[in-house]
Amino acid sequence: MIWSKRGISVSIDALRAIQSLLPDAEIVQSDAPADDSYGGAYGEAPCIAAAECVEGRTLRAHRVVGEPEVRFAGFLDGIQRARIECHRNGVPIVEGRVAAAIRVRVNRRFTTWGHRIPIVSRRLYMPLVFLQCEGRTEIDGFDIVDTSYDDRTKALVSRHPGALRAVAFERVGRDRDEAERNLAELWCSAGDAEPLFIDGGISGSGRVASASCAVGVIKSHQTLFADGDALEVVMSLRRGERSSVFAPPSTRRHSVISWYLRLRDPRGHDAMFGLVRIEASVGGDVASRANEISRWVLAEAAPLSLPDSRWDRMAYGIRDCEQFLRAIA
Amino acid sequence: MTQALGRVVATERKPNTPHEFHFWTALDSPVGIGTIVRVDGRRPVNGQIPRVYGIVTEGFSYTDLVTPLHDVMSHDGAPESAGFASAERAEIRLYSAAVLRQIPEEPLQPVPMGDVFLALEEDVNIALRMDGYLRDGSNTGIPIGVYRAGGTDATIFLDADFLVGPEAAHLNITGVSGLATKTSAVEWLLSSLFAHFPDSRGSIAAVCFNVKGPDLCFLDLPGKLDDGDRALYDKMGVPARPFENVHYYAPYAARGYALNTLRSNEALAHNVTPLTWGLREVLQYAEVLLNRDDIDAKADALIDFITRSVIDQSFTDPMLSRAHVVQSFADLEDWFRDVLRGLENGNKESWRTHHVATIRKVRNRLSNISVRCAGLVTDSGPVSDLPFGEFEDRATYVVDVANLEEDAQDLIFARVVSKLREHLERRDLGVKHVVVFVDELNKYAPGDGPDTYVRKMLLDIAERGRYLGLVLFSAQQFRSQGHKRVVGNSGTSVFGRMDPDELAAPGYAVLSPATRTKLATLEKGQLMIRHPHFTQPIFVRFPRPAVMAGRLGAEQFPQGGEVSLDVAVYRSLRARDSSVTLQAVEDAIGLHDEGDVLRALAVTLKERPSDVLGVFRARLPKRITQSVQARPQVAALRGGRGDDPYGAAR
Ligand SMILES: Nc1ncnc2c1ncn2[C@@H]1O[C@H](COP(=O)(O)OP(=O)(O)OP(=O)(O)O)[C@@H](O)[C@H]1O
Ligand SMILES: [Mg+2]
Repeated sequence: MIWSKRGISVSIDALRAIQSLLPDAEIVQSDAPADDSYGGAYGEAPCIAAAECVEGRTLRAHRVVGEPEVRFAGFLDGIQRARIECHRNGVPIVEGRVAAAIRVRVNRRFTTWGHRIPIVSRRLYMPLVFLQCEGRTEIDGFDIVDTSYDDRTKALVSRHPGALRAVAFERVGRDRDEAERNLAELWCSAGDAEPLFIDGGISGSGRVASASCAVGVIKSHQTLFADGDALEVVMSLRRGERSSVFAPPSTRRHSVISWYLRLRDPRGHDAMFGLVRIEASVGGDVASRANEISRWVLAEAAPLSLPDSRWDRMAYGIRDCEQFLRAIA
Repeated sequence: MTQALGRVVATERKPNTPHEFHFWTALDSPVGIGTIVRVDGRRPVNGQIPRVYGIVTEGFSYTDLVTPLHDVMSHDGAPESAGFASAERAEIRLYSAAVLRQIPEEPLQPVPMGDVFLALEEDVNIALRMDGYLRDGSNTGIPIGVYRAGGTDATIFLDADFLVGPEAAHLNITGVSGLATKTSAVEWLLSSLFAHFPDSRGSIAAVCFNVKGPDLCFLDLPGKLDDGDRALYDKMGVPARPFENVHYYAPYAARGYALNTLRSNEALAHNVTPLTWGLREVLQYAEVLLNRDDIDAKADALIDFITRSVIDQSFTDPMLSRAHVVQSFADLEDWFRDVLRGLENGNKESWRTHHVATIRKVRNRLSNISVRCAGLVTDSGPVSDLPFGEFEDRATYVVDVANLEEDAQDLIFARVVSKLREHLERRDLGVKHVVVFVDELNKYAPGDGPDTYVRKMLLDIAERGRYLGLVLFSAQQFRSQGHKRVVGNSGTSVFGRMDPDELAAPGYAVLSPATRTKLATLEKGQLMIRHPHFTQPIFVRFPRPAVMAGRLGAEQFPQGGEVSLDVAVYRSLRARDSSVTLQAVEDAIGLHDEGDVLRALAVTLKERPSDVLGVFRARLPKRITQSVQARPQVAALRGGRGDDPYGAAR
């Protein structure tokens, strides 16, 4: 690492690798440019999707019965960091770092699972077509991820630097998902795996989606799986209440069951305050499973994850995991 | 190789410097304030991996909590529910350590990042630079205590050359009454000093002033030790035994013939010697007893004249009614009376340049001395003193001044210390080094108050004693109230449990708040040591002294009651010769007057003859001896005891 003028750390080894390939690339020393200078934002747009209710006929609020119970033994999270290190004529070359870890709770304190080195990777994300070096897969030990083509449509991405950047950043995000998935699968493959608290959904992996130990807790609600009256029910859940269980539409993903749960009293707050969506594997009596898992998740409402801005929805174990990953990656 | 127990960390806000660094440890690590640690650097400097030794001076712990309010919110304001939280917050133990030593010493750099280890015994030796004086062949280490942390048990040594001279000298110990174990620590250190003072540095003895109760009255009797104490003695190689060669000195009580000491039980009389001084001994130190304003140049001249031309010689003057031989306060009083009468008769204002008022004043003051120091100063002249010139190696001479008036204490201090000094200067004391132990230094060398003779004398030892082998071990409750230069000249400073108010004095500002807190809560048997070789104060443990505690001794050996002259003499003589009987002494004394008896006793004790009783008898004036001889029948009637040398001689 070297320090640039403004005190930002620049990965000197990544830069060397890039420059060996593209000697005329411009080094970006400043902080990441604000999104709006690139135009095109990335990420999904908010939307509402209908979901089939699997607990009764209509979605309604249920009081979680019983005391919160501390059951989660591990917390899984991943982080990603993407930064434009260089550009050549506006074509961004992004260094992406991805890390994921499971932190297990021993005597109410967290340590890294299995004392294994957590998954950490550094790769270079670049549209090789626009840099005239197609076919490269590696420079100086750095894996190259070609971001020239859109994954879904297989079409060449627009040469707009904003579009290129969005694709690169999205790929970094996907790599992170993969790292998380790998770890989750590893945990679930153990015979008598204890409950694992996963930050985000679990439907991305068949093995995880079907594991009874895996519980996904989703904090962001870009897509709301409730329309019409159901949406009203979800928005007006009170603390300690959950929605009926539903099955999120599973076009590309593996089927799971899901429900909304309110962790904190939303009075005087935003409608999403303390609202999480939980995903669990299909099987058993959905109502009692949802109630039981809700009790587990409610038990993680303290300690608070402040000063994180998502503290109303973020379990402390996940914050710990994230802090740990930031410290090592 | 042991496991690392911490890692050095430095941030812009809390950077490391050449003299301080920071490290974190696991929550359950054995590190605490005063723990010595070693840092192994990661990158070589000039081809050498730097090693840094430090002592923990401050500790911090915190969690990732940004404000306490977040914790309140976490538990809905209900503390009782906090115990059930699913997880504990991330928490840190962060320590600051002061650098003791860096290797290599040059270039002196800020402490590097690295792993932190608990210092092992050999690390402690290096960290405190003890390796310099513990070498085979030139070992001048004097154990003062054991440093303990984690599994490490390391003996901490003082350097004799810096404790007893000539490089530095003196030791001062501070701490609150009863809990600081000041007196005990000095007793322990004296045993250690006697056991370890290197032969190459010559002989050493101690003179202790017992200033408080029975404190030092039983140094030759075994005390109660527990297994922990014995382990410490073993570890430090000091025999857990009371002092072997102890001599007690105490003046007589103001009235009667008992010695004015708590060690007056007959069973312990064998090494107690009366301390009595005559006119000559006292006049030399008259200054001690005369206040500043008493003693002007004129009075001084008169005292000087008396000392040089009157005492111990035949003095004649046309004005006087007769020739005077002044040998005692009584003789001196007669002489004064004669002088004043002569002046009155001749209607004169002055005699030999001395004004009548000056003569009156000096007479008043001097005759007062024998009253104020009754018991110590004999009116009639027998002198019994410390064995200046015949001091023995590793012997302890205890002068009990605990029950004396302040004047008498001052006089004893002044004369004993001055005599030690004179003899050491002439190198004929009998030993090469003397440790003088003065407890309650505040009283004798206070920071404020009048500049007394005793204070000047203590200051003189503090400043020049180390060249002479005259070493001051002093103790007091409040160091800040002691005379700055007396205390400040102590090369070694020891601190026991301290009073928080005392710790607020400016002198302690150099210590970290945590170190001060530790000092204010030190257990008995723990001390903080500052010594010239140690760049930071070190905490040690020391064992109870292996001598009988004063209070216990006073219970087991209650004070002897009032004694008659006969019994007093009998006890003194029997201490030298166990075959002496009371009957024989009574017979020898017969009708002799008290003054003659005491004089004969003093002379006998001084001569230390083999035939104690015979010499005592011989030293009594002739005239009376005849009357003793006139009573043989009485002795014969009662006697016939073969163990009576007096009876047997006839
Ligand atoms: N090494 C030790 N470990 C534990 N206790 C000890 C140790 N040394 C002495 N003590 C105990 O501490 C008590 C006080 O000791 P000491 O008389 O030496 O204190 P001090 O500081 O001289 O008190 P003061 O100011 O009253 O003269 C004694 O009862 C003694 O038994
Ligand atoms: Mg004491």
